[in-house]
This record gives sequence, C-alpha cells and structure tokens, in this order.
Amino acid sequence: MSPDSGAAVGTRVTVDAPPELAGWAGAATAIHAIQQMPMPVTLRLHVDGHGVITIDLAFNAYEWSRSLSDFSLTPDSVRVETEPGNPDTPSIDLPGRPLDPLLYAIGWRAFGDEPAPWLVDGHRYRLRRWPSLSELAIGLDEVRMIAMLGNAFATADELAAAAQIPPSDARRLVNALSVAGILRRTATAPALDAEAGSRGGAPASTGLFARLRKKWGR
Amino acid sequence: MEHIILFAGPMGAGKTTAIRSLSETPVISTEAANTDLATADKATTTVAMDYGEIGVTDEEKVRLYGIPGQRRFDFMWRILRDRAEGMVLLVHNDHPDPVNAMREYLIEFADLCQRGGVAIGITRMDVRPGPILTDYTDVLERERPDLMVPVLPVDPRDRGNMEMLLMSLIANIEMRGSYGRVFA
Repeated sequence: MSPDSGAAVGTRVTVDAPPELAGWAGAATAIHAIQQMPMPVTLRLHVDGHGVITIDLAFNAYEWSRSLSDFSLTPDSVRVETEPGNPDTPSIDLPGRPLDPLLYAIGWRAFGDEPAPWLVDGHRYRLRRWPSLSELAIGLDEVRMIAMLGNAFATADELAAAAQIPPSDARRLVNALSVAGILRRTATAPALDAEAGSRGGAPASTGLFARLRKKWGR
Repeated sequence: MEHIILFAGPMGAGKTTAIRSLSETPVISTEAANTDLATADKATTTVAMDYGEIGVTDEEKVRLYGIPGQRRFDFMWRILRDRAEGMVLLVHNDHPDPVNAMREYLIEFADLCQRGGVAIGITRMDVRPGPILTDYTDVLERERPDLMVPVLPVDPRDRGNMEMLLMSLIANIEMRGSYGRVFA
C-alpha cells in the first residue's frame, strides 16, 4: 500500500488481515492506516455476502448497492483491496454517498467494547468537526457525547463518566469517530472535569437537552 | 422560563418550513411580495417574522423565531440576536454561493457562534448535490478551528431531521458552556 511497496502505479494491492483483525476490525485498521497516507487511495471492501463497498477518500464518498440498514453486524470476512487514487478524477460516480455514516458504522462495530488498537492509553481526543450522521439512527446519548468531544479533550472513560453512560458505549463512540477520521489527539490536555457539566448549569439529567429529550420520549 | 432560538438564512432556504415542522402551535407568518426575484424565484418571501413554539413543560417554552432572509431587514437581526440563546442557520445548497452565504451569516452572528449557539442545516442537497458537506466544514475548520458547529444535511419538512438539528444545537450550547474554556 505504501509508495515504496514496489507495486506499479494502478496495481491493486490486497490486504490480508491477520486472524485477530478479521471482519470489520481488519477493514477499520486498514482504513485508519490509509488515512495517514499523504496520497489519495481508493479502497474496495469485499464484504462476504454483501457485495463491494468502493471508498474514494479523496472525494469523501463511497458507492455500495446496499443501504446502511443492511449493514452486517458480523461478516465472516471483509477483504480490503486498495489502489492509488487520483485527486482530480474520482473512482466512483459522484456525488456518491457521504463517508461519515459508513466509517462511523464500521468503527462502531469493529472492536466490540474495546478501544481500537491504535488509540493510546492516556491520550485524549476531541473532534475536528461535527460528524454528519443523518443516514444512521443515532441516539441522543451519542449526540450529547459528540457535543462533549466537540468542546473538550477527553479519554473514553472520562467521556463515559461525564455523560453518565457505560464505558463500553463511550469506547465504541471514540472508535467510530476515529475511523471516520475526525478526531484530534493530544497527550497533554488536562483531565476532563466530569462535574463541569453540572456547574455549567446543564447537568445530564436536568438541562434543556434532557427536558426536551424526556418530552419527546427519546 | 423561555428559550429563544432564531432561524436564519438566505431566502428560499426553508426557514418557515422548518419552524412549521417543529412548532406545536400554529405558526404565525407574514409574507409579502418578493422584490428580489433574481435571488429567489419565489412569489412571496417572509418580511416579518415567523413564530412558533415548543412547550417543554407547563412553565417552559422554546420560542422559534424565523428572521427575514433579505439583508435590508438586518435591523431585525440585531434586535433578536442579543436575546437569542441559539440559532439554526439554514442554507440551501442550490444558492448561487452557499458556502459564502454561510460565512456571511456566521460573521453577522459571531457572538452567538462564540457561545456555541449555532447549528447549520444544509437544505436541498437532493436538488443540487454540490457543494458537498465537507466543503462547508472545511471552511469552518480552517477559519474557526476554535469553534464546533454542527453541520447537517436536512429536509426542513422532516420533523425528525429538524429535531436532530435542534438537539445538536442545544447539546453544543450546553457543552460549550460547561467545557468551552477547558481544552488545550
């Protein structure tokens, strides 16, 4: 996959994941690795029983014949194929479908309740931008955590404590946002103050967000 | 207790429709002839405000004010923005220059932005698919990296879309108030 791989331009390279990174874990790991590369890449995810997902990272779009509601929870295999992209020529018919929901869904499922392997213990994360997840039926717990990460650096455990949700849900959220490529990372931010939400006048259980949520039964 | 949320954006973005999707009371709207057909191909446009309400409890309301999109009514923007807790900015993707329209409104409502009180809904992305969402968010990230502004594709006729946009706005306001000064 790297520029020094020896593969000729335009050659497709298939990534064979080790067994412990099979399925969505392998796909997520490959996506994360490719996002660090300074050149455009097209990925094709061959999802066992669910066709091929073509991802053009340069154009922030993908093609797939299925709806995200068909998203397999545990595919037997996901084979990842890559080829060099072209920043001027899309590899799919534009506009395609926006990438955020797909990458978020992959990241949410990839590693169960554990942190993604590239996330460093003790590092804190914050959003670079708000994710666009309209295609997914995310809950208001996730919206609240997204808002927290939009305004402060936090570990997944700090996020869970502040949002008053299970740590596993916070880890999945951080995984999902990381695979979507929209997290900043730092080793030097101070610990998130879990009580700050209450002092700000909008505690999780009684602010306007909570009251509207209760009213709408969500 | 009351909370004032403004709905702003250029003519034709769907402000009136969005308020009608959310309001629990009949929306009060006044319209007059559009004198700027070059910008918006509509026979009428809102001149005075749209008004709707969401009753949170018996004692608490969210008041929804749609402010006119034409620049010649910006005196009304100044009156309302000081009282508002937040703003939903709707921009239609088939506007002649939608990304720049977004930037202009964010400059006009800079104080609200600073308080985390803005969420942006991009409408009519099914009518014209470009610019894509990252065209908007890239500008925000580049010009205001200190701000977190929800940017979502929405259909103003869809109550679920508008509830999600409103809740994203409120969550962001609350978190900005709690954590906004606490980051590296």
